[in-house]
Amino acid sequence: MVVIARRLAGHLARGVVMILVVATISFFIVRSIPGDPVAANVQKLVQQGMDQQAAEQATRVLYGFQPKGSLWEQYTQYMSGLLRFDLGQSITHAGAPVTQVLGEAAKWTVLPVLVGTLLSFLVGILMGVYAAIKRSGKLGDVLAISGSLLHGIPQYVLGLLLSAVFATLIPILPGDGPVDILFEPGFNAGYIGSLAQHAVLPVLTYALASYGGWILAMKSSVVTVLGDDFILAAELRGMKRSIIFRYIARNAILPLFTILALSLGLLLGGAVFIERIFNYPGLGLLLLDSITMRDYALMGGAFLLITVSIIVANILADLFYSAIDPRVRSGEEVSS
Amino acid sequence: MSVLLESSSTSAAMRRNFWAGVWRVMKRKPSRMVGAVLVLGFVFMGVFGPMFYPAQLPLDPTRITAPPSWEHWLGTDDQGRDVIALVVTGSRYVLLAALVTAVITVVVGTGIGLFSGFKRGRWDNVLMRLTDMKLTIPGLPLLLVLSTVWKFSSAIQMGLVLGLLGWGGVARAVRSQTLSLRERGFIEAARGLGLPTRHIVGKELLPSMAPYIAMNMLIAVTGGVYAQVGLFFLGVLPYESNNWGQMLNTAVFRSGALQVPSALGFLIGPLLAILLLTLAIVLVVDAMDEIFNPRLREE
Repeated sequence: MVVIARRLAGHLARGVVMILVVATISFFIVRSIPGDPVAANVQKLVQQGMDQQAAEQATRVLYGFQPKGSLWEQYTQYMSGLLRFDLGQSITHAGAPVTQVLGEAAKWTVLPVLVGTLLSFLVGILMGVYAAIKRSGKLGDVLAISGSLLHGIPQYVLGLLLSAVFATLIPILPGDGPVDILFEPGFNAGYIGSLAQHAVLPVLTYALASYGGWILAMKSSVVTVLGDDFILAAELRGMKRSIIFRYIARNAILPLFTILALSLGLLLGGAVFIERIFNYPGLGLLLLDSITMRDYALMGGAFLLITVSIIVANILADLFYSAIDPRVRSGEEVSS
Repeated sequence: MSVLLESSSTSAAMRRNFWAGVWRVMKRKPSRMVGAVLVLGFVFMGVFGPMFYPAQLPLDPTRITAPPSWEHWLGTDDQGRDVIALVVTGSRYVLLAALVTAVITVVVGTGIGLFSGFKRGRWDNVLMRLTDMKLTIPGLPLLLVLSTVWKFSSAIQMGLVLGLLGWGGVARAVRSQTLSLRERGFIEAARGLGLPTRHIVGKELLPSMAPYIAMNMLIAVTGGVYAQVGLFFLGVLPYESNNWGQMLNTAVFRSGALQVPSALGFLIGPLLAILLLTLAIVLVVDAMDEIFNPRLREE
C-alpha cells in the first residue's frame, strides 16, 4: 500500500511537471506566431472605438494573458489563469470560454474512441492467442501478417478507404457529420438511430486501426508465456489443455491492460484524422479548426487537454498494473 | 600474416553463410521477395521517376477529374493531369523527407539510447526523463500546433522536424538493448580488458545491434511518410510541391472524391502508393526479423 502511494505521488509530481511543460510550449508558440495576433487584436478593438485600456483588458480575457508587459509577466499571468482553469475565450465560438467549448467537443471524441478501442481489444486478443498457438501454420502466418499490415497502415488511409467504399461506392452508411439534422435532438428513436448510424464508420476506423496492434502484442505476449517454466511444469503434470490455456491467457493478458490504458489516452490525440474525414465535431476537429481559424486560445487549450488525457492515462495504467500484478507491487524496482 | 589471412577467410565464409541464410529465408516465403522488389521499386521511383515526366505535367482541360480510362489508368486530377504521373512525380518529396526523418530518428535515438544505457547513473536519469517527456507529448497535435509557427518549406526541413520529434521510441528501445547487452560475457570481458569505451561501443555493442537498428530505420521511414502525408492531407501546410498528401487533400476537400465517384481515382492513386509502401516495408521487416533472430525460425 505504501509502495503504491509512493508511486502515485511520484507520478502525480511528474504529471504536473509535464502539464507545466506543455502549457509553456503552447504559451510560447502563441507568443511567437508571426504577425503578433495579440497586439493585432488590441489594435483592432481600438480602431473600433474602444479606449486602449479596455481593449487590452478585452484581449487579456481572450488570450489569457496581458498583451503588454515583459514576457515573464505575460507568462505568469497565463499560468495563474491555468490554475483557475481559465484558458481564455474562443474567438470563433461567440466568445464562449475555451473550457466550455472543449467540454462540448470532448463527448464526441470519448465515446467513439472508447467503443472502437474496446471492440478491437476484444477481437485482437482472441486473434492474438490464436496466432500465437498456430504460429507455425498458414493461418497463424496470415493473422500475423494482417496484424502487421493493419498496424502499419495509417488511420487516415483506413478512414478514407472505408469512406470511399461504404459511403460513396456502395452508399449504405453516412460518412459525414455526427447525426442527421432532420431529427430533433433528445431521447427519441430517430435521433439515437441516426447517431448510431453516423458513428459506425468512425468507430470502425478506430477499431481497425488499433486491431493489428492488439494481435501483435497479444501474440508476442503469449509466445513469451509459452516458454515459461510453469507452463512446461503444468504440461508435464498432465494438466488438461483447457486449464493450461487459462494459465497462459491470464498471464499473457496482464501487460496488455497497460497498453489499453495508454492507447485510450493516445487515441484522443490521434482522432484528428478520423474526425476530419468523417466531419465529426470532436476534439481533433476542434484543434484543426482552431488552427485554420487562428483561434489561438482554443488551440492551446485543445492541445493541453489532449496531453493531459495522455498523462492521466499513463498514471492510471501504472496504478492499474501494480494493482493486478503482484510482482510489480512487491518488488518496486524489479528491473531498471 | 597467416593469422590475418585466416581471419579474413573466416569472415568471408561468414558473409557467404549470411547471404545463404538470407536467400533461404526469402525463398521460404515468396511474399518476402515481393517486399524486397517493391522497396527497390519505390527507391527507383523516387530517384528516377520524375525524370520520365516533363517538369510541367500536361494539362487536359477537357478531362477534369475524369474517371479511369485507357489513357489515364487512374483518371485525372482537377486540372486534367494524369493521376499516375502525379503519384510518380510526387514520390520524390515524400520519400526524401521520409529518408531524412528516418536517418535523424535513428542517429539521435541510437546515440541517446547507447549513451544512456552504457553510462547509466545521472546522465541516464536525465536523458530518460527527457525521453519520457517527449514520448508523452502527443506527436501529431504538437506538429499541428507547430505548423502555425514553422512552415516546413522543403522536403529536407520537413524530414528534419519529423526526425527531431520522433527519436523517443528508438532511444528507449536501444537503451534497453544496451542494458541487456552490457551484462553479457563478451562486453564484460572487453571492459575487464580495459578497452576504451569508444572501442566497446563502436566495435562490440553497435555491430550486435545493427540489425535491430536497421529494422527501426525501415519502420521510421513509414512513420515519416505517414506523418508528412497526413499533415498535407489535413491542409495545415502551404502548398509546396506536388506530393501524395497534397493530392489526398485536393481530392477529398476540393474535388469531393468522397462524394463524386468519378474523382475516386484521384484519391485511390496516393492511397495505393501508401498501401504498397507499407506492405513492402512490413514484408521486408518480417524477413529481417527472421534472418537476424534465428530463434524465430521454428520448425
